[in-house]
Amino acid sequence: MTQVPICDVSELPPGERKIVELDGNSIGVFNIEGNYYAASNKCPHAGGPVCTGRVGHELLAEFTGVGLRVKEYFGPNIVLACPWHGWEFNLETGAHLGDSKITLPLYEVTVQDNKIFVEI
Amino acid sequence: MGKYNYRVIDSDAHFMEGLDQLVNYFPEPWKSRMIGGSGKDKASIAGIYPISTGDRSVFGRIQRDEFTEMQRKAGGFTPEIIPDVMEFLGLDAINMLSQKMLSFSRIKGDDERATLLSNAYTDYMLDEVVDPSEGIFTMMPLPFQEPREAVELIDRCADEKGIIGGCFVTAGPEPPFGNRKYDPIYEAAEDHNLPVVFHAGGGGIDEFVTAGYEKFIETHVLGFLMANQSQMTSLIIQGVPEKFPNLKIAFMESGVFWIPLMMQRLDVEYLKRQSEAPLLTKKPSEYIKNMYFGAQPIELPEDLSYLRQVIDMIGGADRIMYASDYPHWDYDPPSTITELPILSEKEKKRILSGTAEEVFGI
Repeated sequence: MTQVPICDVSELPPGERKIVELDGNSIGVFNIEGNYYAASNKCPHAGGPVCTGRVGHELLAEFTGVGLRVKEYFGPNIVLACPWHGWEFNLETGAHLGDSKITLPLYEVTVQDNKIFVEI
Repeated sequence: MGKYNYRVIDSDAHFMEGLDQLVNYFPEPWKSRMIGGSGKDKASIAGIYPISTGDRSVFGRIQRDEFTEMQRKAGGFTPEIIPDVMEFLGLDAINMLSQKMLSFSRIKGDDERATLLSNAYTDYMLDEVVDPSEGIFTMMPLPFQEPREAVELIDRCADEKGIIGGCFVTAGPEPPFGNRKYDPIYEAAEDHNLPVVFHAGGGGIDEFVTAGYEKFIETHVLGFLMANQSQMTSLIIQGVPEKFPNLKIAFMESGVFWIPLMMQRLDVEYLKRQSEAPLLTKKPSEYIKNMYFGAQPIELPEDLSYLRQVIDMIGGADRIMYASDYPHWDYDPPSTITELPILSEKEKKRILSGTAEEVFGI
């Protein structure tokens, strides 16, 4: 395992991302609401640039009662949607939201001396 | 046991009820309307409910001498015909579905008629036809036009021994059956441990969703299939199996090859649009593997290994029930199952009776 420096903390504020090439692999590094994530930028579906896709919260639903419209809401999980076909992944676990047997490879992100590192 | 060395339960045969048989079970003012309106001429009685169009006999090519003889002997499609039907098919038990229910989709106005028929049919069958000791059962037609009335019917009759299910026709409901409007029906069925059977319809040449097809074969191939596909899609994507996890769901009369198609097509879109089905906790195909399917009209490809693969794909013989659809033109005798070389003895038993025993509790 190698800790690869990505950038200074100041260069990746909340809401920003960087796509970097590490050891021949394209990897996305995200700052989402102050938390860092890194994931493979190759969607396990068709190889799309998943890390360039929409980041948001997982849409959940609750059956609130017989005959009532199902209540839809955003849950706490941060999810990333591949722009090619919409495959959506939990950024904490890498699991596809519709089938947890499908996973997007994730990488550990650490911060040392105001620098962001990704472990590969 | 009949002529086969297996217990045979027919999960879908049809009772060809006439309104003259049901008329005394209609409440007023409908009873008087039907009797008074028709006089000696039954034409206006016949006109109260729509019927499907298209010649089932392929213009005389399909001949049912045995059925004609049964009707002659019984004085029409009367309750007395049922033992002969059972003997002809070699059945130990029969589940008879209302013929008129199949055209509920063609009721475009005055939707009270669906409720009237559902109640009258159920009461008539309970009074004069069903006989659990002889293996004669029926299902309540469920009037999708009036969910509250469907719930009342379920509460009133679901616990009768001769009633083994509630039945929807899959053609025509708007909105489709996954809509929350039908939740109370599923809740009532689940409470009574009553399976809900979704029976294909919409194959008539004038009732098909697209006008202009020229031959019945076209609209019948498509109509039954598309009606079942559309309801299965709605039920699953709207999360009915999640809302009512103990509800037994069965589909009738589109064969079995359509099922893996739906599993694959729903799954491939679900992986791309999961947020549009947020109640689901697993892939659509996993819900389908918890449903049950009448096998008729079973497809018999030249290479039967394809059929074997389809059966395996949908979860095996555990999901499949023998269904005759008798006396309709495309009925399957039990030999379609007993003679299938791709099935083990255990699987034949399961399909011929075991699955229906599990679904219907008979």
